[in-house]
Amino acid sequence: MDIYRFNEKMYKSIFICTIVLLSNYISFAQESNYNYDEEKDIYKVISNVTIETEQGNQKLSTIYETSPTILVLIYTRCYGICNPLISNLSEQIQQLDIKKDFRVLVVSFDAADRLSDMERYAQQFDLQNDARWIFVTTKQIKPLIESVNFNPKWDSTIQQFDHNALLVGLNTNGYITKKIIGIRGSNELQAMLKEINNEFIVSYPLPRKNMLFSCFTYNPTTGKSELSIGLLVMLAPALITFIIVLSLIKLGKKQRKTLVK
Amino acid sequence: MTTLSLKKTTSAWIITILVLFIIAISFGITMRFNQGRDINLNPDTFYSIMTVHGVTMIGIWSCAGMMAVNYLLSRYVKTSVKLNVFAYAFTVVGVLMIWASTLIGKFHAGWTFLYPLPFRVAWAKWGTPLFLWGLTLLAVVWLVWAIGMVAQILRNYSLSESLAFQHLSRTKTPAKETPPFILISFVSLIGIIICLVTAAILMALLFAEYYSNGGFVNDPLLVKNLTYFFGHTIANEALYLGLATLYEIMPEVSGRPKFKTTWYVALGWQLSLFFILTAFFHHLYMDFVQPISFQIIGQMASYLASIPSAVVTVLSVIFLVFGNKIKWNIVNGLFFLGVTGWIIGGIGALIDATISNNIVLHNTLWVPAHFHTYNAMGNVLFSLAFFFWVGNEFVDSKDYSKFNKLLLALLIIGGFGFVIMFYIGGANSIPRRYSVYPKELNLGDILATLGGAFASVYLLAILWIFIDLMKKCIKVFSSAR
Ligand code: HEM
Ligand SMILES: [Cu+2]
Repeated sequence: MDIYRFNEKMYKSIFICTIVLLSNYISFAQESNYNYDEEKDIYKVISNVTIETEQGNQKLSTIYETSPTILVLIYTRCYGICNPLISNLSEQIQQLDIKKDFRVLVVSFDAADRLSDMERYAQQFDLQNDARWIFVTTKQIKPLIESVNFNPKWDSTIQQFDHNALLVGLNTNGYITKKIIGIRGSNELQAMLKEINNEFIVSYPLPRKNMLFSCFTYNPTTGKSELSIGLLVMLAPALITFIIVLSLIKLGKKQRKTLVK
Repeated sequence: MTTLSLKKTTSAWIITILVLFIIAISFGITMRFNQGRDINLNPDTFYSIMTVHGVTMIGIWSCAGMMAVNYLLSRYVKTSVKLNVFAYAFTVVGVLMIWASTLIGKFHAGWTFLYPLPFRVAWAKWGTPLFLWGLTLLAVVWLVWAIGMVAQILRNYSLSESLAFQHLSRTKTPAKETPPFILISFVSLIGIIICLVTAAILMALLFAEYYSNGGFVNDPLLVKNLTYFFGHTIANEALYLGLATLYEIMPEVSGRPKFKTTWYVALGWQLSLFFILTAFFHHLYMDFVQPISFQIIGQMASYLASIPSAVVTVLSVIFLVFGNKIKWNIVNGLFFLGVTGWIIGGIGALIDATISNNIVLHNTLWVPAHFHTYNAMGNVLFSLAFFFWVGNEFVDSKDYSKFNKLLLALLIIGGFGFVIMFYIGGANSIPRRYSVYPKELNLGDILATLGGAFASVYLLAILWIFIDLMKKCIKVFSSAR
């Protein structure tokens, strides 16, 4: 069987091609920098610990139930990421000039921090009189940081914690709705604010200049959307198939004629 | 004329499809047990498995339909074995590419790879292009294959004969008869060509964005429309190909005369060509920016699409089975069971395609519930029936009497038990595509564990079938004739 000889050759070459392709891909495999840790504990309720505030002890829920909350975990002795994290966040909030109702709750994860340390820390950023910002400590650090999957490690040689810069977005039911790890752009912060306010976030690009085929276009003079060229793309498959079938019919007729002859 | 090389190729298809099926079912069971918290996968592993499970299943059962039609077509027209081998070889390459992208590269945007997900890279960077190129390869290869088969039909039948127009008149008996098998294969292959062309356009748009570095961006709505037009249509046409084999083989193995193309069979299948293409509008219910008319078309076409093919087929099968003394065997048993599963799944689909229900059921487990019913308990069984039938051809036997009731019982209990857990979940608003359910939805956990257990029973039946068929399939390769 001729065809089977052709067959074996073909299988061999395909097999070799595949191996080469695969090994290439594997050796050039770069991992992407997507951070899965941001997805851990999403849509879980945060541990409702007791926090120590200037007004005395209260439950964490009394904060997030009154308005959506961004929780920030820091410690005042930090030489590392904590200061830039707070100053960056307060700058972004000022620049965005947000009308939304929300609060920033800064909690120390260092058992050595006292409420007075936190007050001093707030002054350092000129946030002590900003009603949006609350600086607190807690005796229940462990359940709190466990429930948001935050794992600081004490390094005794440099006498510092090794830890992430973590923002945790809480809605008014105490659900962790978004996390941001590291200092990031203001669009991420805006997404977090929408998320903790239970607003819809479009995850797709809106119509813009380089979008050549869209299904609808918005006409600013009439204020209505109009059918657009993208819908023609939807008709293309049927049209192309029609042309294919027409040519096959022609071909079939021709072959039948030659058969008759 | 079926040649030995056609048999060998068909045998290679069957072995490959069954091996891939068994692995894909194991992935399915793994997902169910993860949702039931019996095991604990990383979310990215779960979604990689979900993606590869979906593409593999849709892919192998489309191939099964195409290669069965290819085999039976050779009874009526000259077919090309070379084309068949070409399709087989490159399908294997395409599958390897997709498996590498998902299982090694961890690409996990779902089998619908809905834009812009593939470009929000949360996996190895090469995962996205490898996945998309793998799909493109499959689309192009199957397109060539389908065009080849349509060309072969059109060489023996004119267009109007292929569509059985001469059978519409109730009084005259036509000069040239079009067997139902030719009609249904033709209609389904045309549908397949349309949806594969759609896939090619879709891939071109995605690559244009991927390789243009922001010079070109896509309209998410257009891409979504194209994606579902492709996805919905291929899933449905694959099933129609299975029905084509049913019309051809079922009477034969039941000891009854062949099905005839009556006027209603002709009309039903002609109409279904049109409705199956418009029914996809039911995937647009949530796209509020589109005109209301799209929604009305979606609901109407979904209802209308089911009438011609389903009613005609069910009537044909009922006439065949009831009132006649039927010799039951594994082949017609699987076909009969498959029709039942297809109808149940179809009703589940219609319930969801009704706008007032869709508001509640959209993206709940109701969706996998209905499509697993008409696939795992419908289309798959049609193809398995064909496998058994052709397996006997391989060993030159006409003896189907080895009819194992236990095997069918395992399939029925395992299969329906598995999908019922999805239905209950859907009715209770458990969302689909969750790797684990939040504790507010812990009903989902127990349903998932039970679903996984039932699916394991189903897998047992498939393994049994696999062992049985393997003996016959391997024999073909050693036969010299
Ligand atoms: C007994 C065998 C099977 C098992 C255990 C199984 C299991 C599953 C599970 C657990 C899911 C995810 C459901 C979710 O969204 O939460 C799934 C999705 C899916 N399955 Fe299956 N399945 C089986 C057979 C099939 C068959 C025969 C087909 C098609 C011919 C199929 C096609 C799909 C598709 C297309 C998806 C959607 C993937 C996605 O959402 O991207 N499955 N299956
Ligand atoms: Cu659909």
